Amino acid sequence: MLKTVLWAIVGILATVTMARFLRGLGATTALSDSTPWGFWIAFDVMAGVALAAGGFVLAATVYIFGREKYRSFARPAILTAFLGYIAVAVGLMYDLGLPWHIWHPIVYPQYHSVLFEVAACVILYLTVLFFEFGPVILEHPVFHRPVFRKIHQILKKIAIPLVITGIVLSTLHQSSLGSLFLIAPYRLHPLWYSPIIWVLFFISAVGLGLMMVTAESFFSAWFFGHKLKMNFLSGLGKAASVVLLFYFGVRLADIAGRGLLAMAFDGSWQSILFLLELSISAIIPAGMLLFKKIRLSPVGLAACSGMTILGMIGYRFDVCIVAFSRPEGMSYFPSWMEVAVSVGIVAIAMLVFIFFVEKLKVYPEDEEEDHDGKMKEEAHFDPATMRNLMPKSLATPRRYSLAFIGSAALAIAFLPLDSLFGEQYTKTPVSKTTTIEGWQKKRSNKFGHELYLIDAKPDVAPDGEQLNLLMIDGNRDGRLVLFPHDRHSETLGQKDSCRQCHHQNLPFDKNTSCYECHSEMYTTTDIFDHSSHIQKLGGNQGCVRCHQDQSEIKARNTSLACAECHTSMVVQDTFIKLPKKEMRGFAVGYMDAMHGMCITCHQQKIEKESHKYGSNFADCTNCHRDIDASQLHEVEPYAIMRSPHEKLIESRGTVERHAGN
Amino acid sequence: MSASYAILTDTTLCTGCEKCVEACKQENSLGKDLPRPWQKRIDDLSSTRYSTILRRSGAHFVRQQCRHCLEPACVSACLVGAMKKTEEGPVIYDGDRCMGCRYCMMACPYGIPRYDWDEPVPYVQKCDMCYQRLKKGKQPACVEACPEKATIFGYRDDLLKEAHKRIATYPGKYLNKVYGETEIGGTSVLYLSDISLDFLTFKPELGDKPLPERTMAALSKVPPLILGMGGLMTGIWWFIGRRMKIAAEADEESQK
Repeated sequence: MLKTVLWAIVGILATVTMARFLRGLGATTALSDSTPWGFWIAFDVMAGVALAAGGFVLAATVYIFGREKYRSFARPAILTAFLGYIAVAVGLMYDLGLPWHIWHPIVYPQYHSVLFEVAACVILYLTVLFFEFGPVILEHPVFHRPVFRKIHQILKKIAIPLVITGIVLSTLHQSSLGSLFLIAPYRLHPLWYSPIIWVLFFISAVGLGLMMVTAESFFSAWFFGHKLKMNFLSGLGKAASVVLLFYFGVRLADIAGRGLLAMAFDGSWQSILFLLELSISAIIPAGMLLFKKIRLSPVGLAACSGMTILGMIGYRFDVCIVAFSRPEGMSYFPSWMEVAVSVGIVAIAMLVFIFFVEKLKVYPEDEEEDHDGKMKEEAHFDPATMRNLMPKSLATPRRYSLAFIGSAALAIAFLPLDSLFGEQYTKTPVSKTTTIEGWQKKRSNKFGHELYLIDAKPDVAPDGEQLNLLMIDGNRDGRLVLFPHDRHSETLGQKDSCRQCHHQNLPFDKNTSCYECHSEMYTTTDIFDHSSHIQKLGGNQGCVRCHQDQSEIKARNTSLACAECHTSMVVQDTFIKLPKKEMRGFAVGYMDAMHGMCITCHQQKIEKESHKYGSNFADCTNCHRDIDASQLHEVEPYAIMRSPHEKLIESRGTVERHAGN
Repeated sequence: MSASYAILTDTTLCTGCEKCVEACKQENSLGKDLPRPWQKRIDDLSSTRYSTILRRSGAHFVRQQCRHCLEPACVSACLVGAMKKTEEGPVIYDGDRCMGCRYCMMACPYGIPRYDWDEPVPYVQKCDMCYQRLKKGKQPACVEACPEKATIFGYRDDLLKEAHKRIATYPGKYLNKVYGETEIGGTSVLYLSDISLDFLTFKPELGDKPLPERTMAALSKVPPLILGMGGLMTGIWWFIGRRMKIAAEADEESQK
């Protein structure tokens, strides 16, 4: 059953993998410029490496400290470490932007980079682990040949140097993962940023490694039916409690030494998180493990190891994501696809682990137990149902592939659109302009006019001239452009001037507002309703009315332009000459439309009547004179916003603006 | 580094016309800024915008761009040497070396480097002080475009002198501080301002110590750690092995 579930998870991973590598990080993750490292680094790399610490801890216990009674734990621990580090490497391939450059640290080494030290140690340690685990693979009957036996002997001989190398490498990179954050003193919260963070990472990894070995024993007891060796496990628990208490002590001393004890209890969310993390990861399990009764009870020990694992993963997450500051208003929560990749990689690692345990002697004492006995079932004929029953060995692979394919297909249904179709922008519908009363005052020594909202500057009102203003705030961020519509029509020639800007109208409408067609702020929108045309033109009979050339494929660029039928829609002698293709039902983004029209016209005015308009008449700041919503009240000349608009701005909270070219 | 180039931005002269932004976009052929979840603006920088004008209340305009630190955190963080501090001053990026780990983005104390999140083949994007133009003897595009001479280009030493001269000539006009002179080892982009520019960093008070020093403090412990740990482990192994051997011999003897 577990294997079926694992295969189903791997199926989801397969789908997400495609999305990740075809569409990039943006389409599949919640990462952003303010959160360059997210779930994958925190879980796959930071927590993954720490969780695999059991390998070197157990190797040290058995081979260096000579605690032979733990030998039965060493092999599974080394296998877990080996698979764990491979999982880290695989996880990293997802996270790296250019994973095909993953070998670059080897050819362009940079000794001043902590990340280089981590990379070098992980690569070397993976090699060491491969050799440490090598003898187990070579014990398989397939390798019963003189050559392999020779290699086996050599590997056995160099076991001790290998183990010592492994311990040194582990010490280095377990601690260096903490050192990675030394370069970010301004971003990591002081409760986590410590000059000795690398010491903390190392000690916590040792404690976590011991508890991981314990957890693995519980897993194998549950899954493979191995017997729980409680007396050995309690020994591990005892060691873990000492290490965890030591970790707690060092952490506390570090906090106290930097004079932050008050900060740890000041009730801010960081302090609560810190206390929670420290309790779950160290204080509670270490305290519980001090009691022999708890150490000898499977439930107590399982609870302790579970807490430590959770807490230490939490420590990595806190350092990497939670306590890492980002600009105000920015937050990060992983997308489901990020979680799916991490869980999927763990699932693969578990499947490989199970495979190795089934095929190789990972648990040395279990030689007597015959696992294969259960599997050897012949195909047989069931007389009652007259059906040929499949042998179980065939039935299970079928079930696994079904789970894999089914969940992979299901995952496709949940993929967000942008990971399927690529570029998807956050839509920014244009809001309607509001007309308000305003004042216009001639600038004292410059060209042009100053504009005021009516109730903003009552003191300047008397000298000015009252007029209606259009408040243009297309993307609704409070960065307004005040547009004196009346003044424009006045200068440009009263009623004859409408056509200069209003170039198209909806049926039975005289001067359609810009936003009704240019309804998207930045991207081109479709303003053609195909289905209503079919309806109006009489179903299938009507196709030829637009798609006139029967030899062509029925597409937008081969059909009639809108204006060919809707002659009254296009304003007579409009100044704006539309390109032909845009007359087939597309409206450009609001920003482009407005900028194109306003700037072009303003530039022409400078050229033709430079004496009347200043040289900065076409500059951005000629129209965009404001700052942003939070500062509107201080800005000359627009002053305080007192309109329904103001509420809109407040309710939106953070200001978002995407300026164009 | 005495002959390295720098940019001095006098925020009191900036009118916020964004001509520099436009010039930067043209020079680096950056496309249009489209609204994406990861580009929700805080300081307007994005993979398509290396420089931008931050607007602060009271008509203050502050140009945001890469500081080209004298001892850059991004360069020290990069494990493949894709980020490089050049002799001329700019910190440049080599996409052919980059493996996309984004540690530079984590390391930067100003939060400058941006990423091509929407590309299947993404690169880090940031200002390179128009390094190609500098090599041809030209000024950076943004400096050339500035109509108010609010942002000027020259040797760092000269610009520092100029900045201090301005502070001395117009007492009270500026805060008595050249931003970038000493912060975290000094930067090649200097600011003169009449308002505090603390909002440009994650924490208001940046020390004068360069960030790479903090990493080196830990990295310098690597060789002793290798020797110490290796020696300790070998020692313990030898000692315990010997003790067990003696115990076994004693066992044998007692059995006899």
